[in-house]
Amino acid sequence: MATSPRRERKTVHPDVLRRVITFVLAGGKGERLYPLTRDRSKPAVPFGGTYRIIDFTLSNCVNSGLRRIYLLTQYKSASLQLHVKQGWNLFSAELGEYVWTIPPQLRVGTTWYLGTADAVWQNVYILSDEKPSHVVILSGDHVYRMDYREMLAEHIERGAEATMAVIPVPAAEASRFGVVETDTEGRVTGFREKPKDLDPRGPEVLANMGVYVFDTETLVAAVSRDARRESSSHDFGHDVFPALVAEGRRVIAHRFHGAGTDRRPYWRDIGTLDAYYDANMDLVSVSPEFNLYDREWPVRSAPIQAPPAKFVFAGGEKGRIGEALDSLVSPGAIVSGGRVERSILGPGCRVNSWSRVEDSILMDGVDVGRHAVVRRAIVDKGVRIPEGYEIGVDPEADRKRFFVTPGGLVVIPKGELLD
Amino acid sequence: MARILIVDDEANLRLLYRKELEEEGHEVLEAATAEEGIRAFERSAPDLVVLDIRMPGMNGLEAMARILDRDRRIPIILHTAYDSYRDDFTSWAADAYVTKGPDTTELKRTIRRLLEEREHLGPPEI
Repeated sequence: MATSPRRERKTVHPDVLRRVITFVLAGGKGERLYPLTRDRSKPAVPFGGTYRIIDFTLSNCVNSGLRRIYLLTQYKSASLQLHVKQGWNLFSAELGEYVWTIPPQLRVGTTWYLGTADAVWQNVYILSDEKPSHVVILSGDHVYRMDYREMLAEHIERGAEATMAVIPVPAAEASRFGVVETDTEGRVTGFREKPKDLDPRGPEVLANMGVYVFDTETLVAAVSRDARRESSSHDFGHDVFPALVAEGRRVIAHRFHGAGTDRRPYWRDIGTLDAYYDANMDLVSVSPEFNLYDREWPVRSAPIQAPPAKFVFAGGEKGRIGEALDSLVSPGAIVSGGRVERSILGPGCRVNSWSRVEDSILMDGVDVGRHAVVRRAIVDKGVRIPEGYEIGVDPEADRKRFFVTPGGLVVIPKGELLD
Repeated sequence: MARILIVDDEANLRLLYRKELEEEGHEVLEAATAEEGIRAFERSAPDLVVLDIRMPGMNGLEAMARILDRDRRIPIILHTAYDSYRDDFTSWAADAYVTKGPDTTELKRTIRRLLEEREHLGPPEI
Protein backbone atom coordinates (compact mmCIF):
# COMPACT_ATOMS: atom_id res chain seq x y z
CA MET A 1 0.00 0.00 0.00
CA ALA A 2 1.26 3.46 -0.80
CA THR A 3 2.24 5.42 2.25
CA SER A 4 0.67 8.82 2.42
CA PRO A 5 1.58 11.26 5.16
CA ARG A 6 -1.21 11.01 7.67
CA ARG A 7 -2.31 13.95 9.71
CA GLU A 8 -1.36 13.43 13.31
CA ARG A 9 -4.32 12.19 15.30
CA LYS A 10 -4.99 13.83 18.60
CA THR A 11 -6.20 11.70 21.41
CA VAL A 12 -6.84 11.76 25.13
CA HIS A 13 -5.65 9.53 27.93
CA PRO A 14 -8.00 6.69 28.98
CA ASP A 15 -8.15 8.20 32.50
CA VAL A 16 -9.76 11.28 30.97
CA LEU A 17 -12.25 9.17 29.00
CA ARG A 18 -13.36 7.42 32.18
CA ARG A 19 -14.51 10.74 33.55
CA VAL A 20 -16.66 11.53 30.52
CA ILE A 21 -20.40 10.90 30.32
CA THR A 22 -22.09 10.65 26.93
CA PHE A 23 -25.70 11.53 26.28
CA VAL A 24 -27.11 10.22 23.01
CA LEU A 25 -30.29 12.09 22.16
CA ALA A 26 -32.59 9.51 20.64
CA GLY A 27 -35.96 11.07 21.32
CA GLY A 28 -36.82 12.68 17.99
CA LYS A 29 -40.16 11.81 16.42
CA GLY A 30 -38.67 11.68 12.94
CA GLU A 31 -41.86 12.87 11.31
CA ARG A 32 -40.09 13.50 8.02
CA LEU A 33 -39.14 9.82 7.87
CA TYR A 34 -42.77 8.76 8.05
CA PRO A 35 -43.96 6.03 7.35
CA LEU A 36 -40.67 4.37 8.41
CA THR A 37 -41.20 6.01 11.82
CA ARG A 38 -44.80 4.91 12.13
CA ASP A 39 -43.86 2.04 14.46
CA ARG A 40 -40.42 3.10 15.72
CA SER A 41 -38.32 6.12 16.59
CA LYS A 42 -35.89 7.50 14.03
CA PRO A 43 -32.71 6.03 15.58
CA ALA A 44 -34.34 2.58 15.42
CA VAL A 45 -35.01 2.72 11.66
CA PRO A 46 -33.20 -0.17 9.91
CA PHE A 47 -30.25 0.94 7.79
CA GLY A 48 -27.82 -0.79 5.44
CA GLY A 49 -29.42 -4.20 5.70
CA THR A 50 -28.33 -5.34 9.14
CA TYR A 51 -28.01 -2.06 11.06
CA ARG A 52 -30.19 0.51 12.77
CA ILE A 53 -29.35 4.21 12.45
CA ILE A 54 -28.33 4.35 16.14
CA ASP A 55 -25.57 1.76 15.54
CA PHE A 56 -23.35 4.32 13.81
CA THR A 57 -23.28 6.69 16.77
CA LEU A 58 -22.89 3.88 19.31
CA SER A 59 -20.07 2.34 17.24
CA ASN A 60 -18.33 5.73 17.18
CA CYS A 61 -18.64 5.83 20.98
CA VAL A 62 -17.18 2.37 21.49
CA ASN A 63 -14.40 2.91 18.95
CA SER A 64 -13.58 6.23 20.67
CA GLY A 65 -13.43 4.65 24.11
CA LEU A 66 -16.58 6.38 25.40
CA ARG A 67 -18.24 3.71 27.49
CA ARG A 68 -20.51 5.54 29.90
CA ILE A 69 -23.49 6.18 27.70
CA TYR A 70 -27.02 7.30 28.43
CA LEU A 71 -29.42 6.93 25.56
CA LEU A 72 -32.27 9.39 26.13
CA THR A 73 -35.37 8.03 24.45
CA GLN A 74 -38.91 9.32 24.18
CA TYR A 75 -41.43 8.49 21.46
CA LYS A 76 -42.07 4.89 20.38
CA SER A 77 -38.93 3.74 22.15
CA ALA A 78 -39.76 0.02 22.50
CA SER A 79 -38.07 -1.01 19.25
CA LEU A 80 -34.95 1.02 20.06
CA GLN A 81 -34.76 -0.33 23.59
CA LEU A 82 -35.04 -3.90 22.35
CA HIS A 83 -32.34 -3.36 19.76
CA VAL A 84 -29.94 -1.82 22.27
CA LYS A 85 -30.58 -4.68 24.68
CA GLN A 86 -29.92 -7.25 21.97
CA GLY A 87 -27.00 -5.56 20.28
CA TRP A 88 -25.21 -3.38 22.78
CA ASN A 89 -25.17 -5.49 25.89
CA LEU A 90 -21.39 -5.65 25.68
CA PHE A 91 -20.33 -3.38 28.50
CA SER A 92 -19.19 -4.33 31.94
CA ALA A 93 -21.18 -2.42 34.53
CA GLU A 94 -18.71 -3.67 37.13
CA LEU A 95 -15.99 -1.71 35.36
CA GLY A 96 -18.18 1.37 35.20
CA GLU A 97 -19.04 0.88 31.53
CA TYR A 98 -22.61 0.88 30.32
CA VAL A 99 -25.17 1.97 27.83
CA TRP A 100 -28.41 2.69 29.66
CA THR A 101 -31.63 3.48 27.87
CA ILE A 102 -33.49 6.17 29.80
CA PRO A 103 -37.09 7.09 29.00
CA PRO A 104 -38.35 10.46 30.33
CA GLN A 105 -38.42 10.46 34.15
CA LEU A 106 -40.41 13.67 34.57
CA ARG A 107 -38.34 14.59 37.61
CA VAL A 108 -38.10 18.25 36.73
CA GLY A 109 -41.03 19.33 34.63
CA THR A 110 -44.15 17.42 33.78
CA THR A 111 -43.85 17.44 30.00
CA TRP A 112 -41.98 15.38 27.47
CA TYR A 113 -38.75 16.89 26.20
CA LEU A 114 -39.28 20.35 24.76
CA GLY A 115 -35.98 20.22 22.87
CA THR A 116 -32.46 18.79 22.98
CA ALA A 117 -31.36 21.08 25.83
CA ASP A 118 -34.48 20.25 27.84
CA ALA A 119 -33.73 16.53 27.40
CA VAL A 120 -30.39 17.08 29.11
CA TRP A 121 -31.86 19.38 31.77
CA GLN A 122 -34.54 16.84 32.66
CA ASN A 123 -31.77 14.27 33.18
CA VAL A 124 -29.39 16.54 35.05
CA TYR A 125 -29.72 14.28 38.11
CA ILE A 126 -27.46 11.83 36.25
CA LEU A 127 -24.70 14.44 36.22
CA SER A 128 -25.29 15.24 39.92
CA ASP A 129 -24.74 11.57 40.72
CA GLU A 130 -21.84 10.90 38.36
CA LYS A 131 -20.00 14.23 38.51
CA PRO A 132 -18.16 13.74 35.20
CA SER A 133 -15.46 16.18 34.10
CA HIS A 134 -16.88 16.48 30.59
CA VAL A 135 -20.12 15.64 28.86
CA VAL A 136 -20.35 14.58 25.21
CA ILE A 137 -23.74 15.16 23.59
CA LEU A 138 -24.59 13.27 20.42
CA SER A 139 -27.52 12.77 18.16
CA GLY A 140 -28.88 9.26 17.61
CA ASP A 141 -29.92 9.81 14.02
CA HIS A 142 -26.77 10.66 12.11
CA VAL A 143 -24.66 8.36 9.96
CA TYR A 144 -20.95 9.12 10.19
CA ARG A 145 -17.62 7.90 11.43
CA MET A 146 -15.99 10.10 14.03
CA ASP A 147 -13.31 9.75 16.68
CA TYR A 148 -14.67 11.80 19.55
CA ARG A 149 -11.27 11.64 21.27
CA GLU A 150 -9.89 14.14 18.77
CA MET A 151 -12.65 16.57 19.65
CA LEU A 152 -12.19 16.07 23.40
CA ALA A 153 -8.45 16.59 22.99
CA GLU A 154 -8.98 19.88 21.18
CA HIS A 155 -11.57 20.99 23.73
CA ILE A 156 -9.17 20.36 26.61
CA GLU A 157 -6.03 21.66 24.87
CA ARG A 158 -7.64 24.93 23.90
CA GLY A 159 -9.28 25.48 27.25
CA ALA A 160 -12.77 25.61 25.78
CA GLU A 161 -15.92 25.59 27.92
CA ALA A 162 -18.04 24.25 25.08
CA THR A 163 -17.08 22.81 21.69
CA MET A 164 -19.22 22.01 18.68
CA ALA A 165 -18.17 19.84 15.75
CA VAL A 166 -18.51 21.47 12.34
CA ILE A 167 -18.22 20.24 8.77
CA PRO A 168 -17.68 22.41 5.68
CA VAL A 169 -20.64 22.37 3.28
CA PRO A 170 -21.14 24.18 -0.05
CA ALA A 171 -22.83 27.58 0.29
CA ALA A 172 -25.61 26.30 -1.99
CA GLU A 173 -26.61 23.81 0.73
CA ALA A 174 -26.31 26.21 3.65
CA SER A 175 -30.08 26.65 3.96
CA ARG A 176 -30.37 23.09 5.31
CA PHE A 177 -28.00 23.63 8.23
CA GLY A 178 -27.23 25.66 11.28
CA VAL A 179 -24.29 27.71 10.02
CA VAL A 180 -21.47 28.51 12.44
CA GLU A 181 -19.34 31.66 12.18
CA THR A 182 -15.84 31.62 13.62
CA ASP A 183 -12.83 33.89 13.94
CA THR A 184 -9.46 32.93 12.48
CA GLU A 185 -8.63 30.89 15.60
CA GLY A 186 -11.75 28.75 15.29
CA ARG A 187 -13.54 30.44 18.17
CA VAL A 188 -17.28 30.63 17.56
CA THR A 189 -18.53 34.18 17.08
CA GLY A 190 -22.05 33.72 15.78
CA PHE A 191 -24.74 31.54 14.24
CA ARG A 192 -27.13 31.69 11.33
CA GLU A 193 -30.00 29.25 11.34
CA LYS A 194 -30.63 27.84 7.85
CA PRO A 195 -29.60 31.03 5.99
CA LYS A 196 -31.34 31.49 2.65
CA ASP A 197 -29.54 34.61 1.45
CA LEU A 198 -26.04 33.25 0.81
CA ASP A 199 -24.52 33.40 -2.68
CA PRO A 200 -24.69 29.75 -3.78
CA ARG A 201 -21.34 30.17 -5.57
CA GLY A 202 -19.75 31.64 -2.46
CA PRO A 203 -17.17 29.91 -0.28
CA GLU A 204 -18.01 26.86 1.81
CA VAL A 205 -19.64 27.45 5.19
CA LEU A 206 -19.34 25.49 8.44
CA ALA A 207 -22.38 23.45 9.44
CA ASN A 208 -23.20 22.43 13.01
CA MET A 209 -23.19 18.62 13.20
CA GLY A 210 -25.05 18.36 16.51
CA VAL A 211 -21.98 16.87 18.23
CA TYR A 212 -21.02 18.75 21.39
CA VAL A 213 -18.46 18.59 24.19
CA PHE A 214 -19.01 20.55 27.40
CA ASP A 215 -17.28 21.08 30.68
CA THR A 216 -19.88 19.71 33.07
CA GLU A 217 -20.44 22.93 35.01
CA THR A 218 -20.72 24.99 31.84
CA LEU A 219 -23.33 22.57 30.56
CA VAL A 220 -25.37 22.54 33.76
CA ALA A 221 -25.32 26.32 34.06
CA ALA A 222 -26.29 26.69 30.39
CA VAL A 223 -29.20 24.24 30.37
CA SER A 224 -30.53 25.37 33.76
CA ARG A 225 -30.59 28.97 32.55
CA ASP A 226 -32.14 27.90 29.27
CA ALA A 227 -34.87 26.03 31.15
CA ARG A 228 -35.88 29.37 32.69
CA ARG A 229 -36.17 31.19 29.37
CA GLU A 230 -39.75 31.34 28.21
CA SER A 231 -38.92 32.36 24.65
CA SER A 232 -36.41 29.51 24.20
CA SER A 233 -37.08 26.51 21.97
CA HIS A 234 -34.67 24.63 24.31
CA ASP A 235 -32.40 23.50 21.50
CA PHE A 236 -28.59 23.34 21.78
CA GLY A 237 -27.87 24.75 18.34
CA HIS A 238 -30.65 27.29 18.31
CA ASP A 239 -30.66 28.55 21.90
CA VAL A 240 -27.92 27.26 24.21
CA PHE A 241 -24.86 27.89 22.03
CA PRO A 242 -25.94 31.37 20.88
CA ALA A 243 -26.53 32.29 24.56
CA LEU A 244 -23.05 31.02 25.54
CA VAL A 245 -21.43 32.99 22.73
CA ALA A 246 -23.43 36.11 23.69
CA GLU A 247 -22.19 35.74 27.27
CA GLY A 248 -18.61 35.70 25.98
CA ARG A 249 -17.94 32.11 27.05
CA ARG A 250 -15.09 30.25 25.35
CA VAL A 251 -16.88 28.29 22.64
CA ILE A 252 -14.84 26.70 19.86
CA ALA A 253 -15.60 24.92 16.61
CA HIS A 254 -13.91 21.55 16.10
CA ARG A 255 -13.33 20.78 12.45
CA PHE A 256 -14.64 17.26 11.77
CA HIS A 257 -12.28 14.65 10.33
CA GLY A 258 -13.50 11.23 9.40
CA ALA A 259 -12.26 8.19 11.28
CA GLY A 260 -11.09 4.82 10.00
CA THR A 261 -8.62 4.08 7.23
CA ASP A 262 -9.59 6.63 4.60
CA ARG A 263 -10.64 9.35 7.07
CA ARG A 264 -13.10 10.71 4.56
CA PRO A 265 -15.21 13.29 6.41
CA TYR A 266 -18.49 11.50 5.74
CA TRP A 267 -21.48 12.74 7.75
CA ARG A 268 -25.20 12.53 6.95
CA ASP A 269 -28.15 13.83 8.90
CA ILE A 270 -30.91 11.38 8.03
CA GLY A 271 -33.51 14.13 7.89
CA THR A 272 -35.75 13.01 5.06
CA LEU A 273 -36.71 9.81 3.26
CA ASP A 274 -34.68 10.89 0.24
CA ALA A 275 -31.64 11.55 2.47
CA TYR A 276 -32.20 8.17 4.11
CA TYR A 277 -32.22 6.48 0.71
CA ASP A 278 -29.13 8.33 -0.53
CA ALA A 279 -27.16 7.46 2.62
CA ASN A 280 -28.07 3.79 2.21
CA MET A 281 -26.96 3.90 -1.41
CA ASP A 282 -23.64 5.43 -0.30
CA LEU A 283 -22.84 1.95 1.06
CA VAL A 284 -23.21 -0.16 -2.07
CA SER A 285 -20.84 1.12 -4.75
CA VAL A 286 -17.47 -0.45 -5.59
CA SER A 287 -15.58 2.19 -3.63
CA PRO A 288 -18.35 3.46 -1.43
CA GLU A 289 -18.62 6.88 0.23
CA PHE A 290 -19.03 4.99 3.49
CA ASN A 291 -17.03 1.78 3.73
CA LEU A 292 -18.63 -0.71 6.13
CA TYR A 293 -15.73 -3.11 5.54
CA ASP A 294 -13.09 -0.92 7.16
CA ARG A 295 -11.62 -3.02 9.97
CA GLU A 296 -10.06 0.03 11.56
CA TRP A 297 -13.44 1.54 12.45
CA PRO A 298 -15.98 -1.28 12.70
CA VAL A 299 -19.69 -0.61 12.82
CA ARG A 300 -21.47 -3.09 15.06
CA SER A 301 -25.09 -4.03 15.46
CA ALA A 302 -27.28 -6.69 17.05
CA PRO A 303 -26.07 -10.16 15.98
CA ILE A 304 -28.36 -11.99 13.59
CA GLN A 305 -29.04 -15.69 14.01
CA ALA A 306 -29.49 -16.68 10.38
CA PRO A 307 -27.84 -18.84 7.75
CA PRO A 308 -25.65 -17.24 5.06
CA ALA A 309 -27.28 -15.50 2.12
CA LYS A 310 -28.01 -17.91 -0.70
CA PHE A 311 -28.16 -17.41 -4.47
CA VAL A 312 -29.80 -20.13 -6.53
CA PHE A 313 -30.60 -20.98 -10.13
CA ALA A 314 -27.54 -20.63 -12.30
CA GLY A 315 -29.60 -20.20 -15.43
CA GLY A 316 -31.24 -23.43 -16.47
CA GLU A 317 -34.40 -21.81 -17.76
CA LYS A 318 -34.41 -18.57 -19.73
CA GLY A 319 -33.81 -15.52 -17.48
CA ARG A 320 -34.00 -17.58 -14.33
CA ILE A 321 -30.73 -16.55 -12.67
CA GLY A 322 -30.40 -15.68 -9.01
CA GLU A 323 -27.91 -12.81 -8.79
CA ALA A 324 -27.19 -9.61 -6.92
CA LEU A 325 -24.82 -6.92 -8.22
CA ASP A 326 -23.62 -3.70 -6.60
CA SER A 327 -25.75 -4.69 -3.65
CA LEU A 328 -25.64 -5.63 0.02
CA VAL A 329 -27.38 -8.90 0.86
CA SER A 330 -27.97 -9.73 4.54
CA PRO A 331 -27.83 -13.17 6.18
CA GLY A 332 -30.83 -15.40 5.73
CA ALA A 333 -31.75 -13.82 2.40
CA ILE A 334 -32.35 -16.03 -0.64
CA VAL A 335 -32.04 -14.67 -4.14
CA SER A 336 -33.90 -17.43 -5.86
CA GLY A 337 -33.87 -16.92 -9.60
CA GLY A 338 -34.44 -13.15 -9.46
CA ARG A 339 -32.06 -10.29 -10.25
CA VAL A 340 -30.98 -7.64 -7.75
CA GLU A 341 -29.07 -4.53 -8.72
CA ARG A 342 -27.86 -1.53 -6.68
CA SER A 343 -30.02 -2.55 -3.75
CA ILE A 344 -29.90 -3.47 -0.11
CA LEU A 345 -31.63 -6.64 1.09
CA GLY A 346 -32.37 -7.06 4.79
CA PRO A 347 -32.14 -10.36 6.67
CA GLY A 348 -34.46 -13.09 5.47
CA CYS A 349 -35.56 -11.41 2.25
CA ARG A 350 -36.56 -13.60 -0.64
CA VAL A 351 -36.34 -12.61 -4.30
CA ASN A 352 -38.17 -15.13 -6.47
CA SER A 353 -37.71 -16.23 -10.06
CA TRP A 354 -37.80 -13.75 -12.93
CA SER A 355 -38.36 -10.84 -10.55
CA ARG A 356 -36.20 -7.70 -10.60
CA VAL A 357 -35.18 -5.51 -7.70
CA GLU A 358 -33.34 -2.33 -8.72
CA ASP A 359 -32.13 0.71 -6.76
CA SER A 360 -34.19 -0.32 -3.77
CA ILE A 361 -34.01 -0.93 -0.04
CA LEU A 362 -35.79 -4.05 1.21
CA MET A 363 -35.97 -4.46 4.97
CA ASP A 364 -36.17 -7.74 6.90
CA GLY A 365 -38.30 -10.52 5.50
CA VAL A 366 -39.57 -8.82 2.34
CA ASP A 367 -40.74 -11.38 -0.21
CA VAL A 368 -40.67 -10.46 -3.89
CA GLY A 369 -42.97 -12.68 -5.96
CA ARG A 370 -42.15 -14.18 -9.33
CA HIS A 371 -42.00 -11.74 -12.26
CA ALA A 372 -42.50 -8.81 -9.90
CA VAL A 373 -40.56 -5.54 -10.45
CA VAL A 374 -39.37 -3.27 -7.64
CA ARG A 375 -37.61 -0.08 -8.66
CA ARG A 376 -36.51 2.93 -6.59
CA ALA A 377 -38.49 1.82 -3.58
CA ILE A 378 -38.09 1.53 0.19
CA VAL A 379 -39.99 -1.54 1.35
CA ASP A 380 -40.36 -1.87 5.11
CA LYS A 381 -40.31 -5.12 7.08
CA GLY A 382 -42.39 -8.14 6.20
CA VAL A 383 -44.09 -6.85 3.05
CA ARG A 384 -45.10 -9.55 0.56
CA ILE A 385 -44.98 -8.37 -3.01
CA PRO A 386 -47.35 -10.54 -5.09
CA GLU A 387 -46.41 -12.32 -8.30
CA GLY A 388 -46.15 -9.98 -11.29
CA TYR A 389 -46.63 -6.86 -9.15
CA GLU A 390 -44.93 -3.65 -10.31
CA ILE A 391 -43.55 -0.92 -8.07
CA GLY A 392 -41.70 2.10 -9.46
CA VAL A 393 -42.70 1.39 -13.05
CA ASP A 394 -45.80 3.56 -13.50
CA PRO A 395 -45.46 6.77 -11.42
CA GLU A 396 -49.17 7.59 -11.75
CA ALA A 397 -50.27 4.22 -10.45
CA ASP A 398 -47.69 4.41 -7.62
CA ARG A 399 -48.99 7.78 -6.46
CA LYS A 400 -52.50 6.40 -6.21
CA ARG A 401 -51.48 3.42 -4.10
CA PHE A 402 -48.43 4.47 -2.14
CA PHE A 403 -46.50 7.15 -0.37
CA VAL A 404 -44.09 8.73 -2.89
CA THR A 405 -41.26 11.06 -1.78
CA PRO A 406 -40.41 14.40 -3.47
CA GLY A 407 -37.45 12.55 -5.01
CA GLY A 408 -39.84 10.00 -6.55
CA LEU A 409 -39.18 7.03 -4.26
CA VAL A 410 -42.03 4.69 -3.43
CA VAL A 411 -42.27 3.88 0.28
CA ILE A 412 -44.23 0.85 1.48
CA PRO A 413 -44.85 0.74 5.23
CA LYS A 414 -44.20 -2.21 7.51
CA GLY A 415 -46.59 -5.11 7.03
CA GLU A 416 -48.60 -3.39 4.26
CA LEU A 417 -50.87 -5.80 2.38
CA LEU A 418 -50.59 -5.62 -1.39
CA ASP A 419 -52.91 -7.27 -3.85
CA MET B 1 -43.11 46.87 47.36
CA ALA B 2 -43.32 43.19 46.50
CA ARG B 3 -45.25 40.12 47.56
CA ILE B 4 -42.88 37.46 48.88
CA LEU B 5 -43.71 33.84 49.65
CA ILE B 6 -41.60 32.20 52.34
CA VAL B 7 -41.65 28.41 52.47
CA ASP B 8 -39.93 27.10 55.61
CA ASP B 9 -40.90 24.44 58.13
CA GLU B 10 -39.56 26.37 61.14
CA ALA B 11 -42.18 28.76 62.53
CA ASN B 12 -39.61 30.85 64.40
CA LEU B 13 -37.58 31.48 61.29
CA ARG B 14 -40.67 32.39 59.29
CA LEU B 15 -41.56 34.91 61.96
CA LEU B 16 -38.06 36.39 61.83
CA TYR B 17 -38.07 36.70 58.03
CA ARG B 18 -41.59 38.12 58.05
CA LYS B 19 -40.57 40.90 60.43
CA GLU B 20 -37.41 41.75 58.55
CA LEU B 21 -39.06 41.77 55.15
CA GLU B 22 -42.11 43.69 56.29
CA GLU B 23 -39.71 46.31 57.64
CA GLU B 24 -38.43 46.65 54.09
CA GLY B 25 -42.00 47.31 53.01
CA HIS B 26 -42.78 43.87 51.49
CA GLU B 27 -45.97 41.89 51.85
CA VAL B 28 -45.08 38.44 53.24
CA LEU B 29 -46.91 35.14 52.76
CA GLU B 30 -45.95 32.00 54.67
CA ALA B 31 -46.10 28.27 54.03
CA ALA B 32 -44.86 25.55 56.41
CA THR B 33 -44.43 22.75 53.84
CA ALA B 34 -43.55 22.42 50.16
CA GLU B 35 -47.07 21.27 49.32
CA GLU B 36 -48.55 24.27 51.12
CA GLY B 37 -46.05 26.49 49.35
CA ILE B 38 -47.16 25.28 45.91
CA ARG B 39 -50.80 25.91 46.82
CA ALA B 40 -49.98 29.37 48.18
CA PHE B 41 -48.02 30.11 45.00
CA GLU B 42 -51.00 29.20 42.83
CA ARG B 43 -53.46 31.10 45.00
CA SER B 44 -51.64 34.36 45.55
CA ALA B 45 -49.18 34.84 42.64
CA PRO B 46 -46.19 36.17 44.61
CA ASP B 47 -43.40 38.24 43.00
CA LEU B 48 -40.65 36.10 44.53
CA VAL B 49 -40.32 32.82 46.45
CA VAL B 50 -37.87 32.00 49.25
CA LEU B 51 -37.64 28.23 49.53
CA ASP B 52 -36.13 26.13 52.28
CA ILE B 53 -34.82 22.81 50.93
CA ARG B 54 -34.90 20.32 53.80
CA MET B 55 -38.51 20.04 54.95
CA PRO B 56 -40.72 17.13 56.03
CA GLY B 57 -42.52 15.63 53.01
CA MET B 58 -41.61 17.11 49.64
CA ASN B 59 -38.30 18.96 49.65
CA GLY B 60 -37.66 22.43 48.31
CA LEU B 61 -35.92 21.27 45.12
CA GLU B 62 -38.93 19.30 43.99
CA ALA B 63 -41.21 22.17 44.98
CA MET B 64 -39.07 24.49 42.86
CA ALA B 65 -39.46 22.22 39.82
CA ARG B 66 -43.23 22.25 40.28
CA ILE B 67 -43.38 26.02 40.75
CA LEU B 68 -41.19 26.60 37.66
CA ASP B 69 -43.46 24.30 35.74
CA ARG B 70 -46.24 26.78 36.42
CA ASP B 71 -44.16 29.93 35.92
CA ARG B 72 -40.65 29.75 34.48
CA ARG B 73 -39.88 33.39 35.26
CA ILE B 74 -40.72 33.58 38.96
CA PRO B 75 -37.53 34.48 40.91
CA ILE B 76 -36.68 31.72 43.38
CA ILE B 77 -34.14 31.85 46.18
CA LEU B 78 -33.07 28.56 47.71
CA HIS B 79 -32.52 29.29 51.36
CA THR B 80 -30.94 26.49 53.30
CA ALA B 81 -28.61 25.83 56.19
CA TYR B 82 -26.72 23.30 54.06
CA ASP B 83 -24.16 24.10 51.41
CA SER B 84 -24.16 20.57 50.04
CA TYR B 85 -27.37 20.95 48.03
CA ARG B 86 -25.33 22.87 45.47
CA ASP B 87 -23.97 19.47 44.42
CA ASP B 88 -27.47 18.55 43.30
CA PHE B 89 -27.55 20.20 39.90
CA THR B 90 -31.31 20.70 39.99
CA SER B 91 -30.56 23.47 42.51
CA TRP B 92 -28.87 25.38 39.68
CA ALA B 93 -32.24 26.34 38.25
CA ALA B 94 -32.73 28.72 41.19
CA ASP B 95 -31.97 32.39 40.73
CA ALA B 96 -29.91 32.36 43.90
CA TYR B 97 -28.67 30.05 46.63
CA VAL B 98 -28.40 31.68 50.03
CA THR B 99 -27.02 29.91 53.08
CA LYS B 100 -29.26 30.40 56.13
CA GLY B 101 -27.91 32.18 59.19
CA PRO B 102 -29.04 34.41 62.01
CA ASP B 103 -28.13 37.42 59.89
CA THR B 104 -30.65 38.15 57.13
CA THR B 105 -28.55 40.78 55.34
CA GLU B 106 -27.54 38.43 52.52
CA LEU B 107 -31.14 37.27 52.00
CA LYS B 108 -32.43 40.82 51.89
CA ARG B 109 -29.67 41.92 49.52
CA THR B 110 -30.44 39.02 47.18
CA ILE B 111 -34.18 39.76 47.22
CA ARG B 112 -33.48 43.39 46.37
CA ARG B 113 -31.17 42.39 43.49
CA LEU B 114 -33.61 39.91 41.96
CA LEU B 115 -36.56 42.28 42.18
CA GLU B 116 -34.50 44.99 40.49
CA GLU B 117 -33.41 42.59 37.76
CA ARG B 118 -37.00 41.61 37.20
CA GLU B 119 -38.03 45.26 36.95
CA HIS B 120 -35.22 45.79 34.48
CA LEU B 121 -36.32 42.85 32.34
CA GLY B 122 -39.77 44.32 31.78
CA PRO B 123 -42.95 42.42 30.97
CA PRO B 124 -42.88 38.65 30.48
CA GLU B 125 -41.48 37.27 27.26
CA ILE B 126 -44.06 35.90 24.90
